[in-house]
Amino acid sequence: MTRLTVNDRPLEFRMDPQTPLLWGLRSAANLTGTKYGCGSGDCGACMVLVDGAALRSCLITLGEAEGRVVTTIEGLSPDRSHPVQQALVAEQAIQCGFCTPGIAISAAALLARNADPTPEDIAAAVPNLCRCGVYPRLVRAIQRAGRVMRRLETISAAPAPGLTPEDAARAVPAMRGE
Amino acid sequence: MRVTRRGILLGAGATGGLILAWALTPRSFPPPLSAAEGEVAFDAWLKIGRDGVVTVAVPELEMGQGITTLIPQIVAQELGADWRQVAVEPAPVSGAYANAPLAARWSALWLPLLSGLADEPDDLLARRFAEGEPFTATADGTSLIAHEAAARAAAASARAMLAQAAADRWGVAWEECDAVDGHIVHAKRRLPFAQLVEEAAGFDAPDPPVLRPRPPGENPAEVLPGASLRFPRLDLPAKVDGSFNFAGDVRLPDMVYAAIRHGPIGDTRLGGYDTGQTRGVQGLLKLVNGPSWLAAVATDWWAAERALTLIAPRFAAQDRAGTAACEQALEEALRRGRASRIAESGEPDAWLSEKFEHVAHYRVAPALHATLETATATARLADGKLELWVATQAPQAARRAAAAALDIAVENVVLYPMPAGGSFDRRLEHDHVAEVAVIARQVGKPVQLIWSRWQEHVAGVPRTPARSVLAARTASDGTLVALKVRIAAPASFHEFGERLLEGKAPHAGRHAQLQGDAMTVEGAVPAYAIPHLVVEHVPAVIPLPTARMHGNAHGYTCFMVETFIDELAARARREPLSYRIAMLGHDVRLANCLQRAATLAEWNGGAAGSGQGLACHQMTVAGRTGRIALVAAARQDERGIRVDKLTAVADIGRVVNADIARQQIEGGLLFALGMARGSSTAYADGLPLTGRLGMLNLPQLADCPEIEVDFIAGDDDPFDPAELAVAVAAPAIANALFAAGSTRLRTLPLLAGSA
Repeated sequence: MTRLTVNDRPLEFRMDPQTPLLWGLRSAANLTGTKYGCGSGDCGACMVLVDGAALRSCLITLGEAEGRVVTTIEGLSPDRSHPVQQALVAEQAIQCGFCTPGIAISAAALLARNADPTPEDIAAAVPNLCRCGVYPRLVRAIQRAGRVMRRLETISAAPAPGLTPEDAARAVPAMRGE
Repeated sequence: MRVTRRGILLGAGATGGLILAWALTPRSFPPPLSAAEGEVAFDAWLKIGRDGVVTVAVPELEMGQGITTLIPQIVAQELGADWRQVAVEPAPVSGAYANAPLAARWSALWLPLLSGLADEPDDLLARRFAEGEPFTATADGTSLIAHEAAARAAAASARAMLAQAAADRWGVAWEECDAVDGHIVHAKRRLPFAQLVEEAAGFDAPDPPVLRPRPPGENPAEVLPGASLRFPRLDLPAKVDGSFNFAGDVRLPDMVYAAIRHGPIGDTRLGGYDTGQTRGVQGLLKLVNGPSWLAAVATDWWAAERALTLIAPRFAAQDRAGTAACEQALEEALRRGRASRIAESGEPDAWLSEKFEHVAHYRVAPALHATLETATATARLADGKLELWVATQAPQAARRAAAAALDIAVENVVLYPMPAGGSFDRRLEHDHVAEVAVIARQVGKPVQLIWSRWQEHVAGVPRTPARSVLAARTASDGTLVALKVRIAAPASFHEFGERLLEGKAPHAGRHAQLQGDAMTVEGAVPAYAIPHLVVEHVPAVIPLPTARMHGNAHGYTCFMVETFIDELAARARREPLSYRIAMLGHDVRLANCLQRAATLAEWNGGAAGSGQGLACHQMTVAGRTGRIALVAAARQDERGIRVDKLTAVADIGRVVNADIARQQIEGGLLFALGMARGSSTAYADGLPLTGRLGMLNLPQLADCPEIEVDFIAGDDDPFDPAELAVAVAAPAIANALFAAGSTRLRTLPLLAGSA
């Protein structure tokens, strides 16, 4: 049995401790935002925060994660309010979206230690593969997220999930809350 | 429920009955949309609820290209909706969403001897086939060509009916009403759709629908990078918090997970295997034998994958694919094979028999799609019905593959369309769908099959390799007088058709490789006015099955033609831009793209040492033509190819969504940068030598050039820009590398020849 903290909750995995953290998260915890793309650390689609550092969850086992604090894309914010999430949507630096959770995690880890990164800092901190080609927008998006973190700017591009019809009707005259 | 004179479906909670789908098509279908309580469905395309939500049906696969936003935007603009009230749902397979233009374009696959009868986009034969199949494939940039008019007509009809409901209340003429921001308005009066929709259901829509004078679209010049957007993509909020579900994210009660091993590429049978190794694998439930594969099923995917690694099943394989045999077959075909003449003009036979002033040979390696999401499908078989959660570009083919695997009727396969984690035409193939169906039956539980990355490389069919020779006759001043393009490759398109429409396995489909195939050399006819021209396809049988891939033949034909033109310009000591423009007197629009790109990129003449290169291309799909020009700035250093900047100018007619069009061009350029740098593998003994993503030399953020994209405004019907961008990138980069001092690169990937 392996015990760790995932998205602020204590979890006990009844799986082989050799199981990669990725598959513990996906198959057992049903945290499916963390993606499998290669299993060998090449693509970064499975990136999660482990004690604040962006790590490829396909390369660490549940056993190695014992006692550590893991944050997945689902736990980055409760309501898409993390500046990286807002900026990726605002810049439309997303196409198919399969690599997006991993990119968001890489970028969040970078901004947590350096909220004013240069393009070179960003290129070094975001090794994630994207086949659709969102790269040209990533530097812009991550620098913009950094400005939000430094309180130079605000973004409201991605609404919080779970809006009630009443909330929607208050914001959009064409909607009717009932 | 009632069906109006125009046949538009109305009625809350309607089931059964028929709709007469939109005014353009005199055919009726079972209504594909089910309206919930408080909702009214208009035709096959939209529903409006009394809560004000406008739900638009999207019948195509979302694979990142933004179709989940484009069709709703078309509906919203024509309807007069507020973008914030628009929702979207994937549409089920139905003849109401037939893709007739693609059926016409692909008529050689389903009407092989008579395809000339059905290759016009509005051809009745093609429409009949597409509706009857039903053929709703997402491919070749045909989405808007196939669906824009129908979606618009449905929205216009709904708007007219809402206006009639409001006009009736107000005692005014409905024609004087407009629809703005989700309201019907007349002078100072306004009522939201939400309050009108149930009454609107009682009115008839005019026939034909009265469209707004301005078609849906945006002026790209008003949508600058980073600006706030009028029509932001609808799929992005869910994609940024992990809640956007792909096929592998589906969770069903009691579901188990499957991993799989395929045999080497060739005529393969599963041989022996020893299950003794799996004793220590916690959670392993079962092994399932296929004819040429072995699957393991477990309570988590990694346990299933680990069991297969420990078992290491043996396969008996004949006729194994290998690079040497492929190269030899292509070389032999290029030298001595019988050619199919695909295009000709002038008097090529008189001009192109001997004494060429310039000849160049090209070699193109097979290319892997390398989608980040590997082949994945979820299935549940209960009471003789199979439910499938899968991303597919050809949903009916997916249903047929599953039905054939289980020997059940195709009607008993229910397909829930899932989005794709990239496709690039990879999701035109359905081996994993047949496999998951069989596994679900053997296991007796819902099951999710995920191919490992290695399996994706082994059993994912690559884009074809090719060899070619281009030969030119030139005038004394270097002007191109006659051009011969001879390309040796398997008839990849026909081979694909054997799998798509006949359900053949990849190895078995290879029998179709030996025939003339215009699609396999598509894009080889240059845009330039060349007095004498011939384009030949020489079919070759190779031991490797081949598949469609983003850009398709344009991905290599444009490379051959546009680097060859550059060589001719250099040989004639002429500047590459003006050399091209001189041959474009008949195509001012393409010349305009070139000139605009040259201006934006501060084109310096492409002289030796400049590191700048250019290329242009045009494509015609279903009667619409798109054009693009690209200037690349590139150099070669100890780490390989470095591309510093790409400047693209596209003429794609009316632009529906400017930022999505820009995304598509950026994406196409970067996909092609991947093909220029790598994306390829060699094969030996039926197995790829490149088993990991990290070995494909795909571009990362650090390799991404600055990209500038501009559009030439136009009113023509929209053309999908993505494949244009794929075509033009590799030659522009190769030409830039030559201008930077490298040798002429005549291989794809570019450095394959110099390794």
